[in-house]
Amino acid sequence: MKRTLLIGVGVALAMTMATVDIAGQAPAQGQGQAPAQGQGQRQGQAGARAGGGGRGGRAAGPPAAPTPRWPDGKPILGSVPGKGVDGWGAGVTTLPQGMLDQVPFQPWARAAYDIRQIDQFEPHTRCKASGASRQFSTPYGTEFVEVPDLKRMYILDNGGPNSFRIIYLDGRQFPATLEPSNYGYSIGRWDGDTLVVETRGLNEKFWLDTRGTPHTQQLKFTERFTRLDMETLEYQATIDDPGAYTRPWTTTKFQLRRRAGEEPFEYICQQYNQGPELMVGTQESIDNSKFYVP
Amino acid sequence: MRRFFVAATACGLFACGALLTAQHTLGAKFDLKKPLTLTGTVTQIDWANPYVHILMKVPGQPVPALWAVEVDGPITLTDNGWSRDSLPLGETIRVEGFAARNGSNQISGGRVTIASSSKPVYVGVNGRPKPKPTATGPTPRWPDGHPRLGPPPGETGYWGLPTKHGLSEDGQNIQMDDYGLLKNIADASKVAPMQPWALALYRTRQADSLSHDPLFQSCKPPGGPRQFQQLVSGLQFVEQPDFKRVLVLLGMGNRNRRLIYTDARKQVGQLGGNDDNPLFYGQAVARWEGDTWVVDTKLFNEEFWFDNGGLPHTEQLHLVERFTRPNLGTLHYEATVDDPGAYTRPWKSSWDLKWVPGEETPYFLCQDDRP
Repeated sequence: MKRTLLIGVGVALAMTMATVDIAGQAPAQGQGQAPAQGQGQRQGQAGARAGGGGRGGRAAGPPAAPTPRWPDGKPILGSVPGKGVDGWGAGVTTLPQGMLDQVPFQPWARAAYDIRQIDQFEPHTRCKASGASRQFSTPYGTEFVEVPDLKRMYILDNGGPNSFRIIYLDGRQFPATLEPSNYGYSIGRWDGDTLVVETRGLNEKFWLDTRGTPHTQQLKFTERFTRLDMETLEYQATIDDPGAYTRPWTTTKFQLRRRAGEEPFEYICQQYNQGPELMVGTQESIDNSKFYVP
Repeated sequence: MRRFFVAATACGLFACGALLTAQHTLGAKFDLKKPLTLTGTVTQIDWANPYVHILMKVPGQPVPALWAVEVDGPITLTDNGWSRDSLPLGETIRVEGFAARNGSNQISGGRVTIASSSKPVYVGVNGRPKPKPTATGPTPRWPDGHPRLGPPPGETGYWGLPTKHGLSEDGQNIQMDDYGLLKNIADASKVAPMQPWALALYRTRQADSLSHDPLFQSCKPPGGPRQFQQLVSGLQFVEQPDFKRVLVLLGMGNRNRRLIYTDARKQVGQLGGNDDNPLFYGQAVARWEGDTWVVDTKLFNEEFWFDNGGLPHTEQLHLVERFTRPNLGTLHYEATVDDPGAYTRPWKSSWDLKWVPGEETPYFLCQDDRP
C-alpha cells in the first residue's frame, strides 16, 4: 500500500492548527470529518508517514526540482504529463493568518469570525461543497487537473462531497448574471508565471477557511497561484467584499506542498462524515426526510 | 375541493409529475391522494436547485399560515423563459397541487395562476423557450483514431437528454416516468431477472413512489448506470491520455466525479483491500475494443441506488459498460449487469444520450441545496 491518502484527520489537523497562532486564540476543535469505519487502523501508519512529508519535513531533503513547464513555457500547476498524478497538500489555515489585527473587518464580520473560533459548526462538516480558499484547507488536499485542450483547469478537492471546481482559461468574460453557488464562476489569466484567478457568484453557504473567515455574496475573490518549484505552490488571496470588510485586503502567502503520486480518491462526505455533533442534532435524530419550510 | 379533484384527475398523475423534473418523482414528497387548493400572497421567491419554491402567506385564523409551493427547478424554468422576477412579491396566487406527505406546509405547484387574471406562472412555457442546440456531424476522433468521448478540439459541450430514465432489460417494453417509476407496477417482474428478494424490494420501492431513494433523501451519489440517467443536467468526459485515465464529471446528483483508469491496473479497493472499502463508484478500468469503449467496474458498495427506479444491487455487482459514439451527437450506452447477489443471470440495458454543444453542464449540487 503505497498511498498515504487517508492521513489521520487528527494528525493532519493538529499539524495544520499548530502553525496557526492568531492573537492567542484557542485552537479550533476538530472538524468532525473522520474517515470511514474500517479505515481507522491504517490511519496511524499513514499519519506517521505524513509527518515526514509535512511542514518542515523538507529541510533535510535535497533541493526541489525546478518548476515544471508546458511547451509554451507556462508553469505546470498540476501533474506533469506522463509522470503520474500528483496532489497538493492543504496549505491555507486561516486567511487572516499573521495579520488578524490588520484585517479590515466590518464589526459584524469580526464578531462572526470571533464566534466561529468557538463554534465550529462549519458547512463543510455538513457536506456543503468547499468553495474558493476553503478547498485548500482540507487535510486530504486537492488535485489540479489542467486540460489545455479545453482551455480550462479543474480542481478536485478531497474530503467534501467529491465534486469539482472549474477555472476557465479561455479568455472569457463573466456572464451578465450569475446564480450564486458554492464554487462560483472562476476565470483565470496568466500574469507572468502566476495564474491569477478571479471568482464571482459565490454564495454564503460555505466558509472561506476552516476558521470561518466571513464573506457575503458581494465577494469578488482573487487568487494568485505561483509554482515556486516542483514541490511548492504558493497561494495568495485578495478579498474584495464590501458586505463584510471596509476595504479589499490581501492575505499572506501560503504554501501548498506536492504529494507525489497521490491520486484523488473517493470520499463521500454524506457517507463518511462521522461528526454527528457538528451536524443537525445527533446521528440518531437526524431526519433527512424533513423538508425546508419557511 | 371537489372541483379541483376533477382538475387533478384530468391533469393526470404522470403529466403533472413530468413538470417537476429535477430530483424526485412527485409522489416521493407529496401525497397524491391529498389534492389541495390554496390562495395566498407571495412573500418570497426562493430560486434554488433542485426546485424553486414560492413562499406565500395564506389567510387563516388566528394568524395567517406560511406555505411553500414547490414548482420546477431553475434549470428547466429558465429554459422555459421564466425568471425569479416573473412573479412579483405581493401578488395573490392560486395553487392547485398536492399536500406534502409529512404534513408540513408544503404544496406541489402543479398549477399556479395569478388569482386576478388566471394567468399561469412557473408552469409550462413563458414566451419563447430557450432553443435546444443540436449537434450533427461525424464522430470526432483523437489522432490515434479512437473516438473522442468529449467535445471536438476547441469546442465545449456535454452529454444529456437520456432516452431511458430507469434500467430495464433490453427487449422488454416497460413504461416508466422520468424518474424510473413504473406506470404499471404489474410490470415489475419483467424489468430485470431479479431474484425473489430483489423483486420484493424493487416492488416496495416502487410502491412507495421511490421516496426512500438515498439520493433524494441524503444526497448519496448516483453510482453505476444511474449517472447516465440524469434528466435535467448531464455529464462530461475529460479524457487524459497523458495520465491514462478519464474523468466523468457529473452535472447532477452530487455533481460528483468518477475516475476511470486506462492503465490496466488491478481493480482493488482504494486502500489496498478488495473487501474493506467498497465504493459508490467502484473501481473502474477501461479499454478500447475497436470503436467501443469498454469500462469494467467492480467493488461497489450497497449504500446507493444504481438506478433511478430503485432496482437493487449488491456488493457482488460487476458492471460492464460499453460506449459507442456513432456520430457527433449520439452516445450509445449499454450496461451489462452481472450481480449474482440480486439477479438470476447477467442482463443488459441500453439507451442513448445526446450531445448538447457549446454549453456547460447546468450547475446542480444536491447537498448545496435542499432535498
